[in-house]
Formats: sequence, structure tokens, C-alpha cells
Amino acid sequence: MSTSKKEFVKGLITTNPVFVLLLGLCPALAVSTSIDNALGMTLAVFIVLLGANVIIAAIRGIVPSITRIPIFIVIIATLVTLVNLLFNAFLPDLHATLGIYLPLVVVNCIVLGRAEAFASKNPMVRSIADALGMTVGFMIAMLMISFIRQMLGTGEMSVFGFHIFSLPVLIDSPMAIFILPPGGFLIMGLLLALLRWKGVLKL
Amino acid sequence: MQIRETLRSTYPVILLAVVVAICVTILTGVGNITLPRIEAMEKQKVEKMLSEMFPRMTGYTFEDEIYSVYSGDDTVGHAFIAIGKGYGGNINILVGLEDEQTIKGIIVVSHTETPGLGSLITEDFFTDQFTSVTIDDMALRRDGGQIDAITGATISSRAVAEAVRVTAWDKVELLRGNEAGT
Repeated sequence: MSTSKKEFVKGLITTNPVFVLLLGLCPALAVSTSIDNALGMTLAVFIVLLGANVIIAAIRGIVPSITRIPIFIVIIATLVTLVNLLFNAFLPDLHATLGIYLPLVVVNCIVLGRAEAFASKNPMVRSIADALGMTVGFMIAMLMISFIRQMLGTGEMSVFGFHIFSLPVLIDSPMAIFILPPGGFLIMGLLLALLRWKGVLKL
Repeated sequence: MQIRETLRSTYPVILLAVVVAICVTILTGVGNITLPRIEAMEKQKVEKMLSEMFPRMTGYTFEDEIYSVYSGDDTVGHAFIAIGKGYGGNINILVGLEDEQTIKGIIVVSHTETPGLGSLITEDFFTDQFTSVTIDDMALRRDGGQIDAITGATISSRAVAEAVRVTAWDKVELLRGNEAGT
């Protein structure tokens, strides 16, 4: 397997950003209330993570280790604001759906975590592969959490307005706790335990 | 020799300053370029919302932060922006007035509430509750009004109801004053 491919695949399961690295949990738990939100957040993470990894891999040679963190933070914050402004001006429809996720990306430590742990030490192509793999890994985790939360918390499953199925009893009295923050922690913890128990995740 | 040493030790600081300067320049530039577009877009959005709220609208004026909506030469209603303090920041709501006691309807223009919870204030099932309700009844049921809060988003729901009621009274006062003056 080529190294780039390896960097991509590792993000899916072995170093999954949410389930293994446990990074970016704040936005992950905040928006994993429905499949729509999970996909919206994934798109926002994708744009910013890819941009940050590319820029940081490009300048990694001239950044001294002592001030690298503030430099990375400034670059990421600029990138998020830039994307926010440009989307608002030129892609208003996309901004209307993504607008609430983009500011959350700036506090997403997956972005800083990958910049620090990977892009600052690896060449461009591998950093891009890393960003793509991390995004897909993030999406897998978000879809798993949000699927369970939406199903139990609302009693039905619909994606972008398309109704897929309803659960007989839950549709009348959904367990709203799963949409609320405590439900996020519960599902996250139970999923982690299940995946460790079944041997999918190894530390 | 010594100059070289100084340069080496200050290099990280200088680089950080350069990076910040570049970022600030880019952001200021892009901010200036996108601002008129964003403002024009906002204006267009408000126009579209006004005509949604008042289907007979042929034109409108904007004065003292109140939109007066006309159909031909007749005034068909007034509208204004109410700002509520939500869970995640300001909520901007376009409120239409039917007459001095009644709300025509509301549309949430922008907000930063929690996705999936507070963000439901934009949905029809919530905003429809405000249609043709008297200003005094604009409060959550538990506060003695007529609005059902969204489960898990009491703060966002209350912010909308309170902002609509308080601002509506202000604007009605203002409109009365204007009419008495002319």
C-alpha cells in the first residue's frame, strides 16, 4: 500500500478522530442530533481541515517549534472566518445550511490536532491524504452517533426532509433526552464501549 | 556575530507577527469585498420575506427601523426587526404587524442557536404559533402566554416570544406617535 493511501485509511478506524483520538468532541456531541447536522458538520470540517493541512504542510519548513501553536491557531481561525465570509457572499444557500456549523469548526481540535500532529511533520500529499481520511473517519463516527440519537430522540428517521422510517411507539413519545446533551454523552460512551468490546477499536 | 544571535532568537516572534499581519490583511480585504454583497443579499432576503408576509405588497419604505408595506397607495401593514437574546447569541426576527394589537406573523432572519434544538425556532410549527396572535399573548405558556416552547429549547423559545412582544409594544407606540404627529 502506498504511504498516502495508508495515511488515508488510518483515519477511518485505527486512528478515528472521534472514537480513538477523542478529538473535537464538543462540536461532535453538540451537532450529532440528526443525520442532516452530522453531514453539515462533516462538510465544514472537510473544508477547513483540508485547507489547514495544505497551508501548514506548505509552511512547515519555516515555522519554528516554539511559536508553532499560535501560528497554527491564527491560520485556522483566519481560514474559518474566510470560508464563512466567502460562503456568505457567494454561496448564500450553502451558507444558510452551513452557517451554524462553520463557527464551531474553529473550536474543533481535530483541525489543530492534525495540524500539530501530522501536517507540521509531513509533506503536502500525505497531509492531504491525512485530511481526507480524518474527514471520512469523522463522518463515520458522526453518522453512527447521530443515527442512534435521531432515531431514539425523535422516533423517526428522515434525511434532508425525506422520510425513511418511523418507530411504532417512539414516534408518539420520543425519548427527548437523546437529543439533549446527556444523551450525546450516553450514546458516545456506549458506542465506544461496544466498539472496544467487539474489538473494532484497539488502543 | 551578536546581531546574528539576536536575529535567531527573535525570529519566532517576528514570524508570528508576519503571519498575523498577513492574516489580518487578507481578512480585512476579503471582509471589505464581501460586505456590500452580504448586505445586498440581506436586503434582498428581507424584501422576499416581506412579500411573503404581505402577499399584496407592491412596495415598501424603511423609516425609523420600521418597514411600512404598501399595496398601491394603501398601507397594508408594518414590519420591524426584533432582536432576541438567545442561547447562542442574538436572534433576529422579522415581525409583521396586522394592526395595533395583533401580530401578522414572524420569520426568523438569522440566529446562532444549537443545531437540532434551538435552531428549530425557524421551523413553521414554531413560528406559525405567532400568526394572528395579540401582542399581549406573545409569551410562553408557562409565562402566561399562548406560545408552546420547543422541547429542550426553552431559552431560545422564550427569547423569541419576549423579543417579539417587547419590541412590538415599542414600535406600536412609535407608530401611534407618528400618526398623531402627521
